[in-house]
Amino acid sequence: MEILSNRIPQTMTEKILARASGQAFVRAGDEIEARPDFVISYDFPGYTDVFFREAREEFGVEKVDRPERFVLFIDHMVPAATPKEEELHKITRTWGAAQGVPVYERKGIGHQVSAELGYATPGAFVVHFDGHVSQLGAFGTYAFGARKGVLEAYVSPTLAMTVPPTVKIVITGTLQLGVMARDVFHHLVRVMGPSSCAFKAVELSGPVIDAMSIEGRQTVCGQAMFLGANTMLIAPDARTLAYTQGRAKLDLAPVYPDEDAVYERVVVVDVSDLQPIVVIPPSPANTRDLIDHLGLEVHSGYLGSCASGRLEDLRAAADVLRGRQVKPGFQLHVVPTSQTIMAQAAREGLIECLVEAGAFISSPTCDYCYGRIATMADGQRAVSTGTLNTPGRMGSVDSEIYICNAAVVAASAIEGRIADPRPYLSGAKP
Amino acid sequence: MTLPNLRGSVAWVFDEDDYDIDLIIGVRNIKITDVQELAALVMADRDPGFAATVRRGDLLVGGCNFGYGHPHYPAMRAMRHLGIAGVVAESFSPGFFRGEISMGFPLVSCPGILAQVQRGDEIEVDWTLGCVRHFGSGNTLPLQPLNAAEHQTLEAGGLIPYLKQRLARDAGASK
Repeated sequence: MEILSNRIPQTMTEKILARASGQAFVRAGDEIEARPDFVISYDFPGYTDVFFREAREEFGVEKVDRPERFVLFIDHMVPAATPKEEELHKITRTWGAAQGVPVYERKGIGHQVSAELGYATPGAFVVHFDGHVSQLGAFGTYAFGARKGVLEAYVSPTLAMTVPPTVKIVITGTLQLGVMARDVFHHLVRVMGPSSCAFKAVELSGPVIDAMSIEGRQTVCGQAMFLGANTMLIAPDARTLAYTQGRAKLDLAPVYPDEDAVYERVVVVDVSDLQPIVVIPPSPANTRDLIDHLGLEVHSGYLGSCASGRLEDLRAAADVLRGRQVKPGFQLHVVPTSQTIMAQAAREGLIECLVEAGAFISSPTCDYCYGRIATMADGQRAVSTGTLNTPGRMGSVDSEIYICNAAVVAASAIEGRIADPRPYLSGAKP
Repeated sequence: MTLPNLRGSVAWVFDEDDYDIDLIIGVRNIKITDVQELAALVMADRDPGFAATVRRGDLLVGGCNFGYGHPHYPAMRAMRHLGIAGVVAESFSPGFFRGEISMGFPLVSCPGILAQVQRGDEIEVDWTLGCVRHFGSGNTLPLQPLNAAEHQTLEAGGLIPYLKQRLARDAGASK
C-alpha cells in the first residue's frame, strides 16, 4: 500500500533528472542513466564529424534513436572561409538529411537559436558537447555539456551520469545604472570562487532574477561553467512561460523546486552595491572592479557571443554610442547573437545607430569569439563580451582580452581606453 | 574489477589554481592535429627541455580546479604521447574531468597532494586502497573515488569500448 505522506522533497535538478531516468525521485550522488529529451550539437571538426563516423563504424548505428530529439546548428565557420570548412558543413547537412535531423544554419548562435526554436522546454533534459548550453537553464531546462562524452547520446538512448548536488544562489538587491547581467555573473565568480560550484547544479533565484529579463538570465546561466557548475537553472515564471508558450517542443509540465528541497548549500548574494566589472586576463576567474582599470588603452572591442549580443546588449551599446563616434583606429565589432535579434535590432534602429557611430556589424556567427577571426597583434588589447579571456583567443597570445558588459565595450570604443559607460547612458543624472 | 595502480615520477607540478590546460601547448596551437607536432610543443613556453625529461608512466600533479576555462583535447593528447599516464590534482574542473575520463585517461582527485610533492618525486595511485602514496615521505593521502561509469570507462580504456560493453550488457539483459 502506498504511504501518501511519503512525499520526498526535491530540487528542480532532482525532479528533472528523476523524470529523465524514469524514477519517482533521485538524490544527489545517485548514479543514473538519463534519457535526453534533446541532443544538441553544432558542427565542429573532431566532434560532430567524428560522432557521425564513430556511431556508424564503431556501433553500427545507421539511424539515431528518435531523430526528432536531435538538432544540429551550423554557427561556427560561418561563412566558411575555406573549401575544407565548407566540406565539414556538407557532411553535417548530408548526415542531417539522411537521419531526419534538422540542421539550422545561418540562423545565429545555436545556444540562442535553440531557445528561439523551443528546445529550451521548461523541465526538459538536454545535452550538448558544449557547456554554454547551460543557458537553456534560463527557461527551467536542465542542459549540460558532456564534451566528447555526448557520443553516448548518439549511440545509446541514455547517458550515464551522477545526480549533482544542487547549490541554491539567491540574488538580492537592485541593480544600479550601468550594471548588467554580465556583471552579476562575474560578481558571483568573485564572491563565490571559480570552482565553488564544481560538479554541482546551481539553481538561481531571488528578486534580482525575478526582475531580470529572459535575455539577462540566458547570459548568466550560459556562463555556469566558470563557477565550475555542471549547469545553472532558474524556475520558470510568468515571463518564462510567456516566451515558451507556443514555442516549447515538448508538452511537459514546468518543474519547480520544492520549498523544503535539500540543497548542498544556500548562498545569498546582495548586488545593491555592485558596480560594473571587468574580468582581466588571463582567466575568467579574475573579476575586478571596472573603476580600477579605467584609462587602460584598448585597440578593439567585440560585442557579441552566446553570452552577450542580445537586444538588451545592443540597446545598451546604442544608448552609449547614439550621436557619438567610435575613436578613429579603434575596431568595434558588433555581432548580434541571432538573425531574429538582428532583424529586431534593425526594426528598432539600433543597427543604424551603431553603424553611424562607426561599428563594424557582422551577421550572427561564433567566429569572433572562439579564435577563428583572431586578428589582434602582439601588444594589442581588447574589451570583449565574448565568453573567455584566455590569451590567444582573439589573436596573438601576446594580446590581452578584458571581459566586460556591452555598455563598457561601447564606451571604451568612444574613448579608445577602458571607459565607464555610466556618464554616456541616457538614464545618467546630468 | 580494479584499475591497475599508477606508479611514476611527477613530471610537472602545476601549482596554480584554475590552471587553463590549453596553455600547455599554447592556445595558438590547439588546432594542430598531428600528435608528434603537438608533443614537441608541450611546455615549450615554460621549459623547452620538458619533453626529454618525461618517462613512460610519469604523472602530472595539479592544483585546485585544474582544467578551468575551455579545455581542449590536444594538450593531454600530447602529454599521453610523451608517456604521461595520468593527472593527480587537488580538484578538477568538471568539463575537463568528463572529457579526459572519456578518453580513458586517469584523473585522480586528491586533496592535499600539492603540499606533499615536488617535481621528480615518486608517487603511486592505488585505486584498490583508495589512496595516493608518496614514497619520499611514506605518506598516503585518500583519493576521491570515481563513480561506477567513470571507473568502468577507465577500465575499458575509454568511452567507446565502455559504451560497447554497456550496450552489449543492456542488449543481453533485455533478451
